[in-house]
Amino acid sequence: MSVTPQSLKTLSRAWEPMSYGFLDASAKREIRRKMIKAVAVPGCQMPYASREVPMARGWGTGGLQVSLTLIHPNMRIKVIDQGADDSVNAASIRHFLARVSGAPTTLDTLQADLIQSRHRIPEEKLNEAQILVLQVPNPEPLRPVQPNMSIARQMHADADYGRMWLQLYEQIVRSGRVMQGASYPSMVNGRHVMTPSPIPRWDVPKLNMAQHLTILSAGREKRIFAVPPYTRVEPLVFDDVPYKVEEHHDLTCSRSGAKGFFMNEIPQEDGSSAYELSDSGFGVKHIQQSTGDAVTFGKTWYENGEMAE
Amino acid sequence: MRTAPTPSREETRANATFEALIWSMSRPGRLRDLPERGEAQIIEALIDRECHVFCADPLLMPKVLETGARIAALAGADHVFLGALTDLDGLKSLSTGSDLYPDGGASVVIRARLGEGPRLRLTGPGIETEECVHIGGVPDGFWSLRRDLIQYPIGFDVFFIDGAQVLGLPRSTKVEML
Repeated sequence: MSVTPQSLKTLSRAWEPMSYGFLDASAKREIRRKMIKAVAVPGCQMPYASREVPMARGWGTGGLQVSLTLIHPNMRIKVIDQGADDSVNAASIRHFLARVSGAPTTLDTLQADLIQSRHRIPEEKLNEAQILVLQVPNPEPLRPVQPNMSIARQMHADADYGRMWLQLYEQIVRSGRVMQGASYPSMVNGRHVMTPSPIPRWDVPKLNMAQHLTILSAGREKRIFAVPPYTRVEPLVFDDVPYKVEEHHDLTCSRSGAKGFFMNEIPQEDGSSAYELSDSGFGVKHIQQSTGDAVTFGKTWYENGEMAE
Repeated sequence: MRTAPTPSREETRANATFEALIWSMSRPGRLRDLPERGEAQIIEALIDRECHVFCADPLLMPKVLETGARIAALAGADHVFLGALTDLDGLKSLSTGSDLYPDGGASVVIRARLGEGPRLRLTGPGIETEECVHIGGVPDGFWSLRRDLIQYPIGFDVFFIDGAQVLGLPRSTKVEML
């Protein structure tokens, strides 16, 4: 076996002011290895190191590290926070990503190659080439029923999800309906229950048999998991109590006039409510259309407030 | 004025290699081009001092040693480069992780001939209905061995490479011989 002789020159690299995409090469390699495992076992939480990034843990560092690993100068990025492109969290992450990578940014779901999102999935369908990165505050769906994470891991290993069903049952008995508003526990590939991150119930069916790859990453909790394309994601429900999404099908956006999508409720002084589209990029497109600009709409997951077949 | 950072050549190659790897792992059975031919780029993108590597191909060994990875026996390796697979002896000891930590299952890279050989039907996550592929150059018995070793989520994940083409086969994929 021949080994090339090593010198300081062969062992070291050329000086760079900063690693491309902020993360150093070893951090990226570790996340790459874990992402491959996460895709191979859909919905199963894979531990990873979660390096320091110039942002406090809990503000999207998990998603940020995944984005920084995937990013390259030709990858167009979109960052959203609760549907909005312009909130502080989204704007600062987008600014950071663009600054350390030179990647172009967009507010249009259709033009994005990579979408990093906090707690929403865009209303327009993602295609096969797009990657969705979701920021996850609490990756463990079993935490409300089992705070000890070692025992929770054993429960995942045993596919012992009885207590999840019990929790849902108790909610129905107490309140007459499932009270889980966001992070609705969902069975992935018929084996692992995951939390889809705190997306509303409205968004969970979008993950089922989707065309795009979804990567969920929790920086503070140091776990990464994934939903590959065309993977079953089934919210936990009882046969006689069907899964219900938020009743937003008959709400109209007060700013854009769009109807049948997920809305933000805005309390008014007279005690009533106004509504506006939660997906701000989508709302802006509606407004541009009404002022006569040429805009392209993608196919949406929901049509007239119903999940399209 | 702020200058946009530019990736180095190594960074660009590792990034593009990984994009191909994650794409093919999430769409089993579909071919995808790697930036270059061979395993070296995969080693660059994934392997470093934290890895335990088994490498059956002596020509690849210098590349593995360069990364600083620890050389391990097959049973203790998390990344396995089998080169062209000729016999299945010993493959039984491939590390497959545990129910508690499925991520302990090895990532295996095998040189194969894609597009010829036995016809296989793949189903599972990443595949809308079914995907039919031909994977040649692996010994008879590999597929039954794979079936025996994988008790989902315990298992191992394979990248078949043929020149600059790659085909991912995660443990979640069900393979039927046609």
